[in-house]
Amino acid sequence: MKASSFFLKEFFPKTILWVFLIALCLYCLFPFTWMLSTSLKTEAEAFRIPPTWIPLKPTVDSFIGIWVRKNFGIYFFNSTVISLATAVLSTFFGALAGYGFSRFFFKGRRFLIGFFLATQMLPGVLLVGPYFKILSRIGLYDTRTGLIIAFLTICLPFSTWMMKGFIDKVPVSMDQSAMVDGCSRMGIFFRIILPVVAPGMVATILFAFLLAWGDLLWALCITTSEPMITVTLGIARTVGEFRIIWPMLMAGSLVGGMPAIILYIFLQRLLVQGLTAGAVKG
Amino acid sequence: MKKIGIIGICTVVVLALFCFQPAAAEVTLRFSDWHLTEDVWNKSLNEGMAIFHKRYPNIKVTLEPVSYGEKETKYTVESAAGRAPDVFHVHAFSLPMFFGKGFAKDLTPFIEKEGPGFLDAWYPLPLKLMKHNGKIHAMPGDYMTMVLFYNTEMFKAAGLDPNKPPKTWDEFLTYAKKLTRDTNGDGKVDQWGFGTLGAKSPGFSLRFGPFIWSFGADYLTPDMKRSALDSAKAKEAFAFFVELYTKHKVVPPGLTAMGAQDVRTQLAQKKVAMILGSGWTPPIVNKINPDLKAFEVLKAAPAPMKRKQATAIWLSSWVMSPNTKHPNEAWELMKFITSKEIELKWFVDNRVTSSRKDVSGVAPEILNDKFASVLASQLPYGKVEPQIKQWPEIMDTFTTSLQEAVVGMKTPEKALAEAHERINAILAR
Amino acid sequence: MDFGIRIKDRHMWALFVLPGVLLLVLVLGFPAITSLSYSIKPEKAGAASYTLSNYANLLKDPFFSKTFWNTAVFVFLSVASHIILGLAVAVVLNRALPARPLFRLIALLPWVVPDVVVGIIWKWMYDPIYGALNDVLLKIGFISTPVEWLSNPKLALFSVILVNLWRGFPFVMLILLAGLQAIPRHLYEAAAIDGATKIQSFFHITIPGLKKMIVVALALDIVWEVRRFGLIQAMTKGGPGVLTEVLSTYTYKQYFQFFRFEYASAIAVVMTVVLLLVSLPYIWMISQEE
Repeated sequence: MKASSFFLKEFFPKTILWVFLIALCLYCLFPFTWMLSTSLKTEAEAFRIPPTWIPLKPTVDSFIGIWVRKNFGIYFFNSTVISLATAVLSTFFGALAGYGFSRFFFKGRRFLIGFFLATQMLPGVLLVGPYFKILSRIGLYDTRTGLIIAFLTICLPFSTWMMKGFIDKVPVSMDQSAMVDGCSRMGIFFRIILPVVAPGMVATILFAFLLAWGDLLWALCITTSEPMITVTLGIARTVGEFRIIWPMLMAGSLVGGMPAIILYIFLQRLLVQGLTAGAVKG
Repeated sequence: MKKIGIIGICTVVVLALFCFQPAAAEVTLRFSDWHLTEDVWNKSLNEGMAIFHKRYPNIKVTLEPVSYGEKETKYTVESAAGRAPDVFHVHAFSLPMFFGKGFAKDLTPFIEKEGPGFLDAWYPLPLKLMKHNGKIHAMPGDYMTMVLFYNTEMFKAAGLDPNKPPKTWDEFLTYAKKLTRDTNGDGKVDQWGFGTLGAKSPGFSLRFGPFIWSFGADYLTPDMKRSALDSAKAKEAFAFFVELYTKHKVVPPGLTAMGAQDVRTQLAQKKVAMILGSGWTPPIVNKINPDLKAFEVLKAAPAPMKRKQATAIWLSSWVMSPNTKHPNEAWELMKFITSKEIELKWFVDNRVTSSRKDVSGVAPEILNDKFASVLASQLPYGKVEPQIKQWPEIMDTFTTSLQEAVVGMKTPEKALAEAHERINAILAR
Repeated sequence: MDFGIRIKDRHMWALFVLPGVLLLVLVLGFPAITSLSYSIKPEKAGAASYTLSNYANLLKDPFFSKTFWNTAVFVFLSVASHIILGLAVAVVLNRALPARPLFRLIALLPWVVPDVVVGIIWKWMYDPIYGALNDVLLKIGFISTPVEWLSNPKLALFSVILVNLWRGFPFVMLILLAGLQAIPRHLYEAAAIDGATKIQSFFHITIPGLKKMIVVALALDIVWEVRRFGLIQAMTKGGPGVLTEVLSTYTYKQYFQFFRFEYASAIAVVMTVVLLLVSLPYIWMISQEE
């Protein structure tokens, strides 16, 4: 290879690539470094002007405080249960419906597609009140189940659309050859389709998980007793009338972000690697 | 893949088990207060509840904290579904809306049972604000005035006498200009004379009241049917406030994003020398920056005036839910929290003055306190905003205009005129 | 899995689709109908039972048109920037890289923090005096005076959109990455053998292969950004003035701050209708194929 074409084809693109990657990392991590820095400060130092990046008096007091003084353990448990349930259920039902819309062309299909999408467009602000009324009538007020049902339903259309998009990419010929082999539709769904769309499922599960985890409005209105509070609600409480306890807010946010990250890593291993190993790639 | 389906079903089953909630045995009251989320208040409230429980052993009170910014959202949703807490705490300025929707129980029967003269212990203005159609629907709680807080050391450093705080707004401007300076010699101003709110929050109107009212103007006409912002005095007050930022630059940059906590932080961090605040200011400032030694370095003075002394009032109130299953017990709780003994405790623990005359007017703890004495002295000059249900919307549209003037999108004249139009449209609905 | 009853394959769609439909109807049916019916109730008690006055008021409302415009700008710029950045990052992260899982994780991080928390933190970082952003920019000499990100009328909305870019691109990136992973390797190998350049492969293999996913991401993100609430509310509450007011914050304000349930419902109806109209082409397209 000539020197100049080496430069153009190999070196230059690679440098741009790495510059891009580093810029990306800085861009994504910049606020997190600030969050980490603040979470290790004393409350007084958090307000210093000009701000310090490396804490003068580093302390892990906030990280301990959220568990000890603020019941983070309970919040964590609630959020994890609620978000996981939402993620799994909404992805499952979404995949089911996505498959149904992808492979079958029944009467009213277009209408139902529109219906699914339309339910997404109602702002949560207006739905909370009446939903809360129903919940209290059937005794599910101030329960995790009440929240799970709400999130699951809000998430469902999104999950359906995402899964449908991924399922559409799987050639129908795979379904057909499996049917010829005597496989039932459900069997096709579980054994052929889902493994192939595993990467798409990662996105869908994570999306549903984060939607449930990060919600404030519904958690605020539907739960009220301390044993039911979620992490996001607990963090919002550090924003008081008088002052924001910044270090605690940051510590709580950082710790609160952990489950999603762990879930992602877990999903990558389990779904993408574990399942696609056995699937046939188009 | 079946695994995921099974996991999903198992999750649902496990969750169902967690939903079982045991029924309550004795009388249980639900009590909600945003103060429960504040360290400053939490301890005090819990102690108070312990005392209550000792006196009424058959009444159990569950505490439901709610964050300050979300309380109206939560109480609205709960009340609309008939599931509001038995007793909850709101600003007095939310009351017209809660009253309008029927979310507050009429307390007249309970008050009558207490015998004649029960209400005499309270100041008349707070009581007036608790009335809906002439009947009392809530009990008054904390009652404070907005006063001027200033940093005596910064005064001295600027060559001002810390014992002579500004008495008029014109004096105030002179002081503020002197206090806006470059303290470390790098050529950039790093200290400003006055810190105030510019963000849309309930605290804003508290701090604008001393301006508009002492200039002799008001937001609405006395019959509360039309806007009074087209008066010359209103224009004067509005322009004066806006120009503090745009022309004289005695207020730190970024005003429209400043909420009450930002302003207190500015004071705590010595970025500003003066703010309008109230009883809660010194303890909070002290917590933000103990090195400031807030209790020694800060002093309080009546808010400056233009033509007459006037300041804004802060009033909180206790509401009983109309759907409460235990109205009598709820009343005992309300009576307890607003009793003379406990109101005094709220002062001693948290430095908030009370709407009870027999506490704020009389208690030596208050009269001898450097800050509370000033607060109490201003109570006669306290004014309150129009108690109509459109008020939050009116205030929001007013603040919108103010923000537009402050960031330079419109002249103060034009912005105020637009607010005037819009407020009239709101009232005409 | 096998079901004892013989169901015609033609009818199997019901098994897949109906559970979801049932869930949606049962859970959202009542709230949706209640809240929509509020929009035709009068605000003043005692007037007629049904009225279109709320919609009339909407047309007269000077803030509504500004809010609508802001929402359009916000959604357009947010979605466009999400797609561009998301695609770029997805393409890069699809290549063989050392420590690729780590980079994928980092690119995902902004998405992990809840909306409200992002809003609160960025509001602080944007602070002119003690915000981290101005601090860093001043130190590296990018700017000479502190920038008023959220107060400057020219910057306010864009500052919010910038945060939304940071916060929202991982979602699009993840979808597109999954889409990229589904494009068979051998197509690229065949193209390389035929002498195609990287850029040619990109435009002739990658983009067509991703087309469907891009449309999915586009449609979802549009709906999602119109609903974006916590982020904006926590950062600016719609201010200064109405510069950053969007439909979601405006509806919230009317409902929870002014207690104007009926008016808020009318806004919600308008929001829903507009969104439906915007997504009609999408619905048409995805139900068209095959």
